[in-house]
Amino acid sequence: MAITLDTPHAPSPRLPAVRWGAAGTALVALALAPLVLDSYYLHALIIAMIFLLPAHGLNLILGYTGMLSLAQGVFFGLGAYASALLSMHFGTPFVVNLLASAAIAALIALPLGIPALRLRTTSFVMCTLGFVVIAQMVAKNWTDLTRGDMGLSGIARPKIGFGHAAIAISQIPQYFYLILAVALLATIAFVALIRSPAGRCMVAIRDNETLAESLGIPTWSYKLIVFMLSAAFAGLGGSLYAHYETVVSPLVFQMYYSNTILIIVLGGGVGRVPGAIVGSFLFVAVTEALRVAPELRMIIYGFVLLVLVFMFPQGIAPLLERATEWLSRLGGKVDAKAEKQA
Amino acid sequence: MANFIFEQIINGVITGSMYALVAAGMTMIFGVLRAINFAHGEYYMLGTFAAWLVISKLEVPYVVAIVLGVAIAALIAAIIGRLVMQRLVGSPFQAGVLATIGISLILQNAVILAFGGGYKVFEGGWIEPIEFFGIGMAQQRIVLIVAAIAIFAGLEWMVRKTRMGKAIRAVSQNIECCQVNGIDVESVVRRTFLLGTALAALSGILTAPVNVSVYGGMGESITLKTFAVIVMGGMGNVRGTLLAGMLLGVVESLVSGLIGLQYRDSVGFIALLLMLMLRPHGLFSQKARF
Amino acid sequence: MCHTSMQRLACLAVWGAGALFTAAASAQEVYKIGLVSPLSGANARYGAFANKGANLAAKEINAAGGVMGKKIEFVTGDSQCVPAEGVSATKRMISFDKLPIIIGDICSSVTLAMQPLAEEAGVLLVNAASSNPTITYKAGVGGFKWTFRNYPTDEGRAAIVLEHAVKSRGLKNFAVLSVDSDYGRGAINFTKKYLPRYPEAKILSEDYYKESETDFRPVLSKIKNSGAQAIIMYGQADTTPIVARQMLETGLAGKVVLVGNGEFNTAKTIAAAPSVMNGSIEAAAWLPEWTSARSQKFVEDYKKAYAGEMPNNHAYTHWETTHLVAAAIKSANSLKAEDVRNALAKLKYDSAMGSVTFDDHNQAVLPMVLLEVADGKPVIKSAIAAKVDYPKQ
Repeated sequence: MAITLDTPHAPSPRLPAVRWGAAGTALVALALAPLVLDSYYLHALIIAMIFLLPAHGLNLILGYTGMLSLAQGVFFGLGAYASALLSMHFGTPFVVNLLASAAIAALIALPLGIPALRLRTTSFVMCTLGFVVIAQMVAKNWTDLTRGDMGLSGIARPKIGFGHAAIAISQIPQYFYLILAVALLATIAFVALIRSPAGRCMVAIRDNETLAESLGIPTWSYKLIVFMLSAAFAGLGGSLYAHYETVVSPLVFQMYYSNTILIIVLGGGVGRVPGAIVGSFLFVAVTEALRVAPELRMIIYGFVLLVLVFMFPQGIAPLLERATEWLSRLGGKVDAKAEKQA
Repeated sequence: MANFIFEQIINGVITGSMYALVAAGMTMIFGVLRAINFAHGEYYMLGTFAAWLVISKLEVPYVVAIVLGVAIAALIAAIIGRLVMQRLVGSPFQAGVLATIGISLILQNAVILAFGGGYKVFEGGWIEPIEFFGIGMAQQRIVLIVAAIAIFAGLEWMVRKTRMGKAIRAVSQNIECCQVNGIDVESVVRRTFLLGTALAALSGILTAPVNVSVYGGMGESITLKTFAVIVMGGMGNVRGTLLAGMLLGVVESLVSGLIGLQYRDSVGFIALLLMLMLRPHGLFSQKARF
Repeated sequence: MCHTSMQRLACLAVWGAGALFTAAASAQEVYKIGLVSPLSGANARYGAFANKGANLAAKEINAAGGVMGKKIEFVTGDSQCVPAEGVSATKRMISFDKLPIIIGDICSSVTLAMQPLAEEAGVLLVNAASSNPTITYKAGVGGFKWTFRNYPTDEGRAAIVLEHAVKSRGLKNFAVLSVDSDYGRGAINFTKKYLPRYPEAKILSEDYYKESETDFRPVLSKIKNSGAQAIIMYGQADTTPIVARQMLETGLAGKVVLVGNGEFNTAKTIAAAPSVMNGSIEAAAWLPEWTSARSQKFVEDYKKAYAGEMPNNHAYTHWETTHLVAAAIKSANSLKAEDVRNALAKLKYDSAMGSVTFDDHNQAVLPMVLLEVADGKPVIKSAIAAKVDYPKQ
């Protein structure tokens, strides 16, 4: 699937500044949100940020290596269970749980990825779907570990810090900042990965795997590592989910989560850095706004998906990119001079 | 013990006929469109719902309900085919996924909106049991098996002998060549879609008398199971789905009977995973195309 | 009329003021209560019944004058049986709609996720359909003071069903076939807890069916082969007729009986395969055939309101719970959540099945009946009040 990012004109020299400015403004707005918005809206933003993490993972594997994986739900659920179990059985602090969930998800992705990544696109999709079904079966039946359908409830709230100085996170604004911090760090990691030489190799693999291989890129290793990294992202999200909702049950492996993450990435814009971000906030905005009409909600949501597919096949992020480009052109004269000189 | 195994095999063939019938439709749609129809189970549901509706409101006999049910489901599928499915020709794989997820949400919830979410009881059909080699089964089961065999035979004939069948095969192999040759690809896609969803609807109506409960969300689990069957049979391979469906049915029955019913669904997907690892092109295909 | 920008501003102001005024005016007459249930997806088939029951009760209460002079109005939320969605719907009701009382959910995992929210916000959460015992272990003195559960616990059910099956009917060999959810698995866990009391009784096989299962032939063949005399089934209302029909076709009618719970007693279920259902044993918190005047009236009114559809268990429990909440408001003589909660804890409520009180874990001590199906009709054998054996913490 070729994703071209060509623009008809030379990009204005002010474009990066505008883009960074826009991102910065959004970040500041988010940081100030708890002062202005009430807890329902904060909750919606928190959910958007929790889903952002597995969405980054899917964007990585789909947008930058070209493999459509429905298994993000598996690693999300694995991360949730890992976090919950660690916290319940060992009382480990939140940060440990968070990192452990990512690590466990990545570790489990390894034996799953090795056979799966050899498959072609459609078979790979089905394979990842199979992982989700089996994960749910394991969660339901391995009752000694997961308590099966009874679920794990009353998961401890996060505590940040050491000993007496520890801050217990229990209020929504506190959760908001904690999750914002994690989401921000994860996004920075994602961008760093994409912009690195490794990221370029991934794009090469996506655009033409055979050619990439002929250039000496070890495509197989890359795909596997990307699979594991995307699982790690999803595991992080799962850990946040577990500590926020305080309940984890085999229902976390429902298709709902995999589908949601897919919709976020495709709707936001695959293969673009802001794709997952735009997608997750948009998704939450749409699904929560639709609660005003509970009976029509899912029908309208279905139509929104169809509109996305046919009218915005590249997602919504390109629109934002064009908006920032237009903004950066507002001081017209500067552009004309720059173009003449170029 | 041998008797028990035999009985489970027969159980498997019964279930497998249903799996095969639904999967045939999905695999054909995949063949021409290269898209996995995430809404396939919803057509199964639509057929069942339509049949339930005409039986309970118009009080027609079951046989008439079969015809009407398939007709109504086909009408809805025709509209969707024209508005959505044919536009997916040539679009990337994920577009199909997203679009069909959207369709499934719309169909499911429209039915819930129109008829209420509660489950309905399907009346009608031939539920009187008869004996077959010492195994009791409702007459409906025999109808289903016979219908499945007949339909597969019909599909085989259609694909080999009729113009439409040849067009379907051509489009399944190479869309660009077809467009060059002047085959109306969109028309083939629409008609294949119609046929595929009609098969799903028919299979829903034929199993409704023994499956009793009818509700808007009943298609979800069907779709998931069908995925396993089409991969095992080789995607796009219609004959393969008959065998894969039967095989899955039998293995599921044996696992349910010998180990436990709670592992039933995972059988299909474990078999699917094993197969993808060891023989990615499907049990019955020659080479891996997808 | 509203063409120029000045005119538009004026129009907007008038419209806005009008809206505010009507909102304020109607706010004085309306008391909003939240109702969270699965309204889309596969579980919508249960949520639909729940909402209908609740709405019927609201209509009845409003016709009788409402609560403290205000009419009850439900704000519905769709949980889709997905905990994340249920939490979002609840959050919206708490923060946005500022609802003091929420009834919900059907799926236990959703209810478990809702409990901490209600607790923090001081919102009364009354559950009418979830079966996970953890909900109750953690409520009341167990921690969540704002959660109340008006739904029977399966512990009591499991105990009396087993007792009756073994002692009164002499059944010894059991096969387990329950729904693969916290309800089915939990009830069987409780059954196994009490099984050692009956050394002659054995469980020969244990199977759980997924919630959308329609093909029971393999497991029924296994059960036929095993020599089991009864199937312990804690399952769903719409699955029982399927199992019954398939028991009929595989030749188990009259040879194996169903024991447990799953709406064995409704007319439609029995009609699906009378020869199978005759002889079955069920512990039910309610049945449509129940002879009390109030229950019969509920069935009639429900059928009238919803085009002849018969109410099921979920419809009943939500109907009853809505009336329960109204009774608590009346007893508290206040619309504030805190007062209603306190009143509810002490309330002695006359339900259609008998008297209901709440124990220290905010669990309703509900009257249940043990019935057998004979000659196509449910026959009440005994009544019990289920008590919970709380684990030491």
